[in-house]
Amino acid sequence: MSGPALRIRGLKKAFPKVVAVDGVDLEVARGEVFGLLGPNGAGKTTTLEIIEGLTVADSGEIEILGLTWAHQGKEIRSRIGVQLQSTSLFNKITPREALDLYGSYYPKCRGTQELLELVQLEEKADAYHITLSGGQQQRLALALALVNDPEMVFLDEPTTGLDPQARRSLWDVVRRMKGEGRTVVLTTHYMDEAEALCDRLAIMDRGKVIATGTPASLISDLAMPSVVELTFEGSAPDPSAFAARLGEAVEPRTDLWEIRTPDPKALLPRLLEAAEAATIPFQQVHIRRATLEDVFLMRTGRSLRE
Amino acid sequence: MLLWRQFAMEWRLYGRDRVAMFWTMAFPVLLLLGFGTIFRDGGSPKLSVVRVQSPVSSTQDAAFDQALSELHLKVQSLPKPEAEARWSRGETAAQLEADGAGYRLRLNSYLMAQAGATAGLVNQAWLVAQARLSGAPEPQRIPVQVESPGHKRSTNYASFLLPGLLGLNLVSMGLFSVGMVNVSYREKGKFRRLAVTPLPKWIFLLGQVLHRLTVTVAQAAILLLVGSLVFGIQNQGSFLDLLLIMTLGTGCFMAFGFALSGFAETSEGYAALSNLVFFPLMLLSGVYFTLDAAPAWLQHTVAIMPLAPFLRALRAVFNDGAGLAGHGLGLVIVGAWALAAFILALRRFRWA
Repeated sequence: MSGPALRIRGLKKAFPKVVAVDGVDLEVARGEVFGLLGPNGAGKTTTLEIIEGLTVADSGEIEILGLTWAHQGKEIRSRIGVQLQSTSLFNKITPREALDLYGSYYPKCRGTQELLELVQLEEKADAYHITLSGGQQQRLALALALVNDPEMVFLDEPTTGLDPQARRSLWDVVRRMKGEGRTVVLTTHYMDEAEALCDRLAIMDRGKVIATGTPASLISDLAMPSVVELTFEGSAPDPSAFAARLGEAVEPRTDLWEIRTPDPKALLPRLLEAAEAATIPFQQVHIRRATLEDVFLMRTGRSLRE
Repeated sequence: MLLWRQFAMEWRLYGRDRVAMFWTMAFPVLLLLGFGTIFRDGGSPKLSVVRVQSPVSSTQDAAFDQALSELHLKVQSLPKPEAEARWSRGETAAQLEADGAGYRLRLNSYLMAQAGATAGLVNQAWLVAQARLSGAPEPQRIPVQVESPGHKRSTNYASFLLPGLLGLNLVSMGLFSVGMVNVSYREKGKFRRLAVTPLPKWIFLLGQVLHRLTVTVAQAAILLLVGSLVFGIQNQGSFLDLLLIMTLGTGCFMAFGFALSGFAETSEGYAALSNLVFFPLMLLSGVYFTLDAAPAWLQHTVAIMPLAPFLRALRAVFNDGAGLAGHGLGLVIVGAWALAAFILALRRFRWA
């Protein structure tokens, strides 16, 4: 067991109207949780589907667990687990039956009972799929992805559309996968999810990887990793006059101003002084560390959440 | 083993959809019971004529009425106002009334099939009545023999209908059920979830095909049982021949379904497409009406469509106890269609 779990070089895929994946290089180490973060339409899902063997790339190389689709497709399928963005099962199949059935497709499979416990579906084990809540259906999809005791698991937007509690319960399952030594590759457009789960991230935009690294390093690599916020009652006024006086860039948001800085300690006294001199009617001052959202914003000039 | 599991699971899930299962099984039975009972006496409804009562009955009227009553014709004698009311409601096919010294027969243009035949009978009775009144020798009738064309035994409508229903079941199973399921699986991503597992795709498809095949066999068994219990219809041929024909037909129309499913993007699209194929196939296969009067090119086209030869062979075995030897060409035509559809299905079939 040596070499990376996944290695991708120069991956490209164009659809009739859009270039979905435009030259992606990635390397995922064994045992890590790797995230593809980006807005909808960034090419995350297409990238994942090419890796999973569902879509054929126009060009590029993929090596999964040292195997290639061209020669060892069946072995790859046996050793990876996949959760698709929407897992469609028969309406009237029960979780127990689904796990039994999908387990029978593999040379090696985990016990159904153990999987039901892992995703906390023991009580719903014999309920029809259609009667499960969204979170329960997603947990079943995760259990199905683990049915063959895979070395590598691919999860496509595992928590999209779930309420906060259901999301956290799903995060626990992902952490347990990592605890069991599996390599996990997931896509998400939630920055909190990426920060909470991923050892390393690739930020994608318009078919390209625009940054790779640990969540912490992506943030600290920013030239200005801190943000000072002045919040207002109601909507924020036009900051241009104040920005000129302060000598810093001030970005207006709905009800606050953002000033990015490498050194909040030095900025703060100047900022308060200028604000007082200009009688700016702000309510509160916050200093926060930059987030992945800011990383995306700084690199693309656009917000992650459209 | 994998195939068996897949097959067993298909049946298990199918069994949970009680409503769908009930109707799949019950619908052909209801059709058989309904039409078999309505047309119990040989397929065509009795002919009838409305006779408008004359104010005074002459000897001529009496002779005519006597001659009419000797025919296989239902004569309804009504007073003038009632007869007219019935006529204007459009319920009367033919109405006979006195007109001066003779008679007048009015025919309903919407019911010409019955009215035309009735007119022939009424005229026949009039000729007989005239002969009797003039003392001429009684006219002789040509003896009539009822037969089921193309068949050795004379059978009733239910036994004509039953093989047709068996055949139609296969067509709708293939075109509507198999094809529609494929399109909806693809649409909803069920195929994609299977595609990321190492399960060979042919096992999944074969499991589905075997399931459909056994559903068809179960349907046929129920239909045969009801036919036998209610109408006393028995399979005259060998059950092996019957099974062979049914298997060939199932293969053919299932391949049709698979092939068609490759041409539709959505379930809605498939519904339109399958009807586009189903109705010409059904209407132009000589199942419901004969195409003797159709142009030659249409007749030639129909002769090489798969449904007609399939049903002909099925009826020959079932109703006449014929062997398959006499229907070689028909079975070859069905087989050729099955092969063509199968090749097309392989080329067009998509998982995603």
